[in-house]
Amino acid sequence: MKALILVGGYGTRLRPLTLSVPKPLVEFCNKPMMLHQIEALVKVGVTQIILAVSYRAQILEKETSSWAKTYGIEIILSHELEPLGTAGPLALARELLISGSQSQPFFVLNSDVICEFPFDEMLRFHKNHGREGTVAVTKVDEPSKYGVVVFDKHSGQINRFVEKPKEYVSNKINAGLYLFNSAILDRIKPVPTSIEKEVFPFMASESQLYSFEMSGFWMDVGQPKDFLTGVGLYLGNLRLKQPHALLAPNADMSVIGNVMIDSSVVIGKNCRIGPNVSLSADVVIEDGVCVKNSVVLSGSRIRSHAWLNSCIVGWRCSIGQWVRMENVTVLGEDVIVNDELYLNGCRVLPHKAISSSVPKPQIIM
Amino acid sequence: MKALILVGGYGTRLRPLTLSVPKPLVEFCNKPMMLHQIEALVRCGVDHVILAVSYRAQTLETNIADWSEKLGVKITMSHEQEPLGTAGPLALARNILIDNQSAGETVNEPFFVLNSDVICEFPFREMIDCHRSHGKEGTIAVTKVEEPSKYGVVVFDQHSGEIHRFVEKPKEYVGNRINAGLYLFNTSILDRIEVKPTSIEKEVFPFMAEEGQLFCYQMSGFWMDIGQPKDFLAGMTLYLSNLRIKDPSSLCNESLYESSEINGNVLLHPSVSIASNCRIGPNVSLSDGVVIESGVCLKNCVVLSGSIIGSHSWLNGCIVGWRCHIGRWVRMENVTVLGEDVIVNDELYLNGCRVLPHKSLSLSVPQPQIIM
Repeated sequence: MKALILVGGYGTRLRPLTLSVPKPLVEFCNKPMMLHQIEALVKVGVTQIILAVSYRAQILEKETSSWAKTYGIEIILSHELEPLGTAGPLALARELLISGSQSQPFFVLNSDVICEFPFDEMLRFHKNHGREGTVAVTKVDEPSKYGVVVFDKHSGQINRFVEKPKEYVSNKINAGLYLFNSAILDRIKPVPTSIEKEVFPFMASESQLYSFEMSGFWMDVGQPKDFLTGVGLYLGNLRLKQPHALLAPNADMSVIGNVMIDSSVVIGKNCRIGPNVSLSADVVIEDGVCVKNSVVLSGSRIRSHAWLNSCIVGWRCSIGQWVRMENVTVLGEDVIVNDELYLNGCRVLPHKAISSSVPKPQIIM
Repeated sequence: MKALILVGGYGTRLRPLTLSVPKPLVEFCNKPMMLHQIEALVRCGVDHVILAVSYRAQTLETNIADWSEKLGVKITMSHEQEPLGTAGPLALARNILIDNQSAGETVNEPFFVLNSDVICEFPFREMIDCHRSHGKEGTIAVTKVEEPSKYGVVVFDQHSGEIHRFVEKPKEYVGNRINAGLYLFNTSILDRIEVKPTSIEKEVFPFMAEEGQLFCYQMSGFWMDIGQPKDFLAGMTLYLSNLRIKDPSSLCNESLYESSEINGNVLLHPSVSIASNCRIGPNVSLSDGVVIESGVCLKNCVVLSGSIIGSHSWLNGCIVGWRCHIGRWVRMENVTVLGEDVIVNDELYLNGCRVLPHKSLSLSVPQPQIIM
């Protein structure tokens, strides 16, 4: 079976992290974002994954090559010379998608999606209705921010899509996971095309599009605020499915709620860690530090008595003593924050040293 | 003769340009910043240039190999594992600077040290003469500025040039000659410096001045530290004015573009194309392959290679990065800087905007900010 992941371009919404590392390789709960998706696809029997990229990064190709060997699958890059939107890349990869297994449907994933990846159930559902396409949908609290899907409750047959509806239509949105028969490729040309606006409406009017109602958590983690929310949801799910992967309470520190740490992490005395925290490889947390709702990427050091809430700390950063950081502050790679500063909603580019407080949200370049 | 150029690290003050290209390679008036310095050094007899870097960039090393061959000069990288300040790098490069293996070279041959952001007329021969004349350990080039309180002011004897002291960003007036970031030292200075983070201005010069070993060379002509966008633009204006005097044929000749107006000093790469009814200049430099559509007004701007400026747009005081596309009827001003591959939609207004690479702007930005 095959899958196509819509990777896209420069990942600018996740800057400053993506100034150092291509978005698919940014670690989400201690595993590269893309690897979460790839592992789930491999589990359901996918043997060929096509990555639709509009920007080729050497380091991405090296990693995916390595993953392909590890999992015994093929990972191919399909490179768009101009951005082709959400449907165009499928047409570009037509030959790859059609070759070999014509009778098997293929998955298409939006690369920013994190969820339980119910690919087995989607496959069964798709084979059951026997039509051209299945779109996974998920329930959200604020549907007006997304693309809402209107469908028949019993059959799942999709009637229409409403983009960012002003009035309430439904609270089920397009989750960015699809399963298509190769016949869909006859509807798309390799030109900039939106699958939601230019392909789905036709399929829906021909009754060829069905929605698979997903349960469990879902998040598009393509920007910092949502990345952090996604971490909370993912760890909440781990608590149910694999509680031993989370940090257990222990005598040396206060562990609150769900916390995930790499085995090489060092945590000092009198710390309060959590809820919703993930600490990557070789992170050092000194004494008396409080970290909540935050992500700290590998090699970073948080010095004593610092307080972090709702932050993303990039790789190899150094946060000084008694520093207070909050409100979706994001530090790029190799940022130094001097002792005793206050950062509020600050986005700091790589290789910067911050020596004065930033009390109002801004970008430090 | 040798020279050491203090290149440093990530060039963050010149972001967003330096997010795409290492600072020494950013083109200043259509030539990489560092090449201005290296060519001037080669012209006065330097045959070995050492680059003190704290961050190694592949593209930089490729370009350097190229220049080395073309100019017939040896170029070596001296890589600091931790940033060593303004003096430490000299100690790190001690063995290269002292090396007297080459034919005809003596241990006493002085060497140049340059701050990589400096643009000026590079009066290296005159500095050598001045240095030989006073015969002491160090010569510092100084330049006259209008606002000395922003810089490091040098207090010296008007007749002999002997330096008494340095005053960093003086609150009261002490003089208007500042440290221009160009030095000539005897190798004995290396005995004063260890391989650790050291400031040459604070930890080395005061001792040399006390011993009567530090003299200044008073530079004339233009000077600028172009390490940040506002100064980069000011530096371009000074450089072009100097070109008007020294090599006027390199500036754009008004008669070349019959259907457009060329005002003041304008430097165009031969491959630039300018449509009709434009007003270009003063103080504009356009790089390789830039396309200016009809009715465009550009003043006090730099446009780097491959960019397109759409018709009827108006730009004043801007730096446009490589391969950008600016729409029609766009107005940009107040040190707006666009990184590589930025698209600005038609009819927008950008005021003091700094835009990171690969962004597309579809809304006006009326107040200065960074767009990431």
